[in-house]
Amino acid sequence: MDIQTSKEAKATVVTLSGRMDAVTAPEFETAIKQLIEDGNIVFVVDFAGLDYISSAGLRSLLATAKLLKAKNGQIHFANIVGTVKEVFDISGFGSIFQIHESVATALAQIA
Amino acid sequence: MIKVEHLSKKFGDVTVLNDISTTISKGEVISIIGPSGTGKSTFLRCLNLLEHPSSGSIIIDGVDLLDRRTNVPKIRQKMNMVFQSFNLFAHLTALDNLTLGQIRLLGMGKDEAARKSLDLLRLVGLAEKADAFPDELSGGQKQRVAIARCLAMEPEIILFDEPTSALDPTMVSEVLAVIRRLAKDGMTMLIVTHEMDFARDVSSRVFFMEEGGIYEEGTPQQIFEQPMREKTRAFINRVRSFHCSISSPDYDLYAMNAEIEIFCERQILPKRIGQKLLLLVEELLHLHQPLLSTETVEFKISHSEKHGTLEIVAESSGDEYNPISLTNTPDELGLNIITAMTETINYQRFEGKNRVLLVLGEK
Repeated sequence: MDIQTSKEAKATVVTLSGRMDAVTAPEFETAIKQLIEDGNIVFVVDFAGLDYISSAGLRSLLATAKLLKAKNGQIHFANIVGTVKEVFDISGFGSIFQIHESVATALAQIA
Repeated sequence: MIKVEHLSKKFGDVTVLNDISTTISKGEVISIIGPSGTGKSTFLRCLNLLEHPSSGSIIIDGVDLLDRRTNVPKIRQKMNMVFQSFNLFAHLTALDNLTLGQIRLLGMGKDEAARKSLDLLRLVGLAEKADAFPDELSGGQKQRVAIARCLAMEPEIILFDEPTSALDPTMVSEVLAVIRRLAKDGMTMLIVTHEMDFARDVSSRVFFMEEGGIYEEGTPQQIFEQPMREKTRAFINRVRSFHCSISSPDYDLYAMNAEIEIFCERQILPKRIGQKLLLLVEELLHLHQPLLSTETVEFKISHSEKHGTLEIVAESSGDEYNPISLTNTPDELGLNIITAMTETINYQRFEGKNRVLLVLGEK
């Protein structure tokens, strides 16, 4: 999995590509943890390039959300399609997280 | 009529047939099916002594074929063979291909042989091709001439060695129709074939050959509808499978994924199905994680082309443990994914092993 980050005015955009599985999910958690430690607490995660997610990836997302909640932070998801969307739907993540059609719409909704 | 006892055939160090024993009665039609390279053709060739068995005995109507005093050409007349590649004489017409053996081996007069040969060509629907040379005939017609030539020797038993394998699909049915007719007339036949529908319809008994022996035998109903043994089931249902063992919590997920992807490519499975398969296997591995420090988990993925399903079985030894029980999982995430993506999910304690079965449809 490739993890790219970019700073926008209201949030840090984390762009994922490849696979988020039992091997790579911890890499995501480590990267986000570092960003939080650096003072970032509002995130938009862009899933456009991600073509696979397993429950290990879902657990990492939940753990990250928990961490941010403790710091009064926010996490938004964008561009969830294909198999990743199917897994999100099965797991009911659509009702737990704030999901947006694109990074732009996610950024627009962040106060 | 035919009694085979402990028949074995080795080529050098390679054992092709291993201790085959069977009895075939007059009028039986036996189809011999099984994967390539399992000794089906060698078995027929041994019966006709085109290959000399390494050990065992073949008794035809009380005559021991392997006895030095046995008149082998006479036995071959009685038990004639039809080959995949026709083996017609290219320089002789269809009619002359039939008359040759009758005149030379049966001592028949030329006119009588010609009359009888024409009758036999009529029987296989080729009387009008009596004067044609093999090169002027289609594959299906050549094979029908070969069958007529075989009948010209008045055999009591016919051995067919993949009679339709060399034919264009459009010509298979004409040859099978002739063989069906012979079956109806009561001819004793052993037929090595890959035509499963034909084997099911025409046979009184089916031999499934594997590992150089008759792995399972039975009526067509038993073999095609309720095969008892695993390899027969896999063959009949056109199941192809992939196995792997995971014996450490630090398993190499990507090495396993790579093998599953190769399996999916070979099975020509859509990419979407391949992705689901990878996901289901990863989730199953996660559910088995508590076992992996002490037990080996055997994974088997089987693709049934016939049923359009993929079956994943994860089997582990040790104490009874149900990996798909909610009490054994830290959360429901993995289990929810598996349940939503499969048609069947179940756990069984089977022969002292924990067995989780998932069935995934191809659609």
